[in-house]
Amino acid sequence: MASEDEINLLVIVVDVNPIWWGQQAQREPELTLSKCLDAVMVLGNSHMAMTRTNKLAVIASHCQDSHFLYPNKNWRGGDNGGEDASSSGDGKYELLSVANNLIAEEIRNVMTKTEVRGNSTETLLAGSLAKALCYIHRVSKEVEVGQEIKSRILVVKAAEDCARQYMNFMNVIFAAQKQNILIDACVLDSDSGLLQQACDITGGLYLKIPQKIALAQYLLWVFLPDSEQRSQLVLPPPAHVDYRAACFCHRNLIEIGYVCSVCLSIFCNFSPICTTCETAFKIQLPQMVKPKKKKLKQST
Amino acid sequence: MDEEPERAKRWEGGYERTWEVLKEDESGSLKATVEDILFQSKRKRVIENHGQVRLGMMRHLYVLIDCSRSMEDQDLKPNRLASTLKLMEAFVDEYFDQNPISQVGIITTKNKRAEKLTDLAGNPKKHIAALKKAVDTLCVGEPSLYNSLNLAIQTLKHMPGHTSREILIILSSLTTCDPASIYELIKTLKSLKVRVSVIGLSAEVRVCTVLTRETGGSYHVILDESHFRELLMLHVKPPPASSSSECSLIRMGFPQHTIASLTDQGAKPSFSMSHLDNSSGPGLSLEGYFCPQCHAKYTELPVECKVCGLTLVLAPHLARSFHHLFPLQAFTESSVEELQEDRFCQACQGELKDKIIFTCPSCRSVFCVECDLFIHDSLHCCPCCIHSQSTS
Repeated sequence: MASEDEINLLVIVVDVNPIWWGQQAQREPELTLSKCLDAVMVLGNSHMAMTRTNKLAVIASHCQDSHFLYPNKNWRGGDNGGEDASSSGDGKYELLSVANNLIAEEIRNVMTKTEVRGNSTETLLAGSLAKALCYIHRVSKEVEVGQEIKSRILVVKAAEDCARQYMNFMNVIFAAQKQNILIDACVLDSDSGLLQQACDITGGLYLKIPQKIALAQYLLWVFLPDSEQRSQLVLPPPAHVDYRAACFCHRNLIEIGYVCSVCLSIFCNFSPICTTCETAFKIQLPQMVKPKKKKLKQST
Repeated sequence: MDEEPERAKRWEGGYERTWEVLKEDESGSLKATVEDILFQSKRKRVIENHGQVRLGMMRHLYVLIDCSRSMEDQDLKPNRLASTLKLMEAFVDEYFDQNPISQVGIITTKNKRAEKLTDLAGNPKKHIAALKKAVDTLCVGEPSLYNSLNLAIQTLKHMPGHTSREILIILSSLTTCDPASIYELIKTLKSLKVRVSVIGLSAEVRVCTVLTRETGGSYHVILDESHFRELLMLHVKPPPASSSSECSLIRMGFPQHTIASLTDQGAKPSFSMSHLDNSSGPGLSLEGYFCPQCHAKYTELPVECKVCGLTLVLAPHLARSFHHLFPLQAFTESSVEELQEDRFCQACQGELKDKIIFTCPSCRSVFCVECDLFIHDSLHCCPCCIHSQSTS
């Protein structure tokens, strides 16, 4: 019977941009990075406690790199030899305590050892999402025959969007949509147009949290149930997604534009040369109507 | 008469000792060689020429399906027609996934005549519904290449010059019944810059060879059903644009999705223009996309507005084609023994168990075989290169 259970894999991508979190600690000391990770750990534990076959993975998305907090490369699943740190004194389910300890240790390593280059407050989510998709792809190949696996990704975003990653982000979204992987988004600070599009295209939930201190409550209420159970709950309504394109020349949102047929760049005004691919366009001239010569009727 | 170099036919070549490809190892098992062969066939797809070739993104493709008596043959299960229609449904799905702003039309030919199954349209649902219904058609008579090509040309010749005009013929019969010389029609096709490709289900037919050679298409004959599917999927990728196709700026509209609830003041339910033809589907609805020029409502995009003629698309539709324009370069192969550091794939964090690993040329990260296939097939971007882009 155990082999007929569905495996639910939840991958949590946490935005740990140290510059944003540092500023946040000065603005509102109630919500710090450690409290945020506590809330994420609560969600992870609850997810693993729902069914025995549920799986979890946590990725920390830093400014220039992303690291897997759990499962760790150095930790082999099921390796019980001599792991004194894993057995907790209060009789907690061992898998949960191992996960918590690993996450705490790894995030300490990541935050202390990773050096911050530049002072951008933007996070590169596209890279972390791409790694999450590769991980999901590997896990789905490793399940036994006959077991189904359903995966979803939850993104906890703090800092602003990085506009340079638009194309990579869209590639990742389409890859996720093709593999039927939901992308949910829990946004702490500023609205993110990219994540709104991601949630709309893949069918996930987008939520901007009104009160940051209650992060754990929102995570458990909205993002713990999986896609089948969501149809029976009344969840926050979908956000209005702006799908208008931005023109390449001014970055304004336009409703009617001109698209180059070669490189698909969008312009708001007609110009004879495409600035991206430098093709000269053929301009349609209005057809000249020649005046018809009237034939003189020969009167017979 | 013929300028083409005569290829050696298969029966003219020497003996191929196909059994020598398989080699047994010490225990007598063939597993290693079978895995090797599968791996090579997977890699074949990835190693392609990712040159800076201009691709035809907006495509108008007509698929001509032969419905003559030879389609009732049962060499493809359950019969050729059912198998073809099922593969066509998968093709239509993949096609619109890779080319969201293109259009497809389906024409069938039987009993020496040709008729349109569906018109050129950008919505996959209509085509799939028509294909599902077509399973019951009777296969009689002979196909007519001339009539079906003529029918396709009549629509394709009005298409604007910057789009690519293509025809894909699935021909199973070895004969065709034409009212006039097909070589004249081939000249017309060439002058209209239409590219014709053929997938033969029975055997190679000379007329098709000439047709595809003159118009610049490809001709293949299937070996079995999986080969059929492979050949069909070859036509999903956008073909290189011919040098004679014009480039122009196309005027497009990007409508907003309006969702109004009943409690909103002034929310008026309205009809969608796409439902004017058929009465199926919901009539009045509150939400939809309004054309920015004439405010006609549509429920699904991409579509060409029936009232004002503006092409309506969403920004993600254009974004779907970006990976064709900026393709990911192939990764370099190397052996796993050369790796000094920990043997972990940097994308999926799995151990590198295979003998071969792949390295991205720009960021020098190491990936395993599965991740390499996944990255090149679906992701189209290297996970580690995205990070290094930020510092530049």
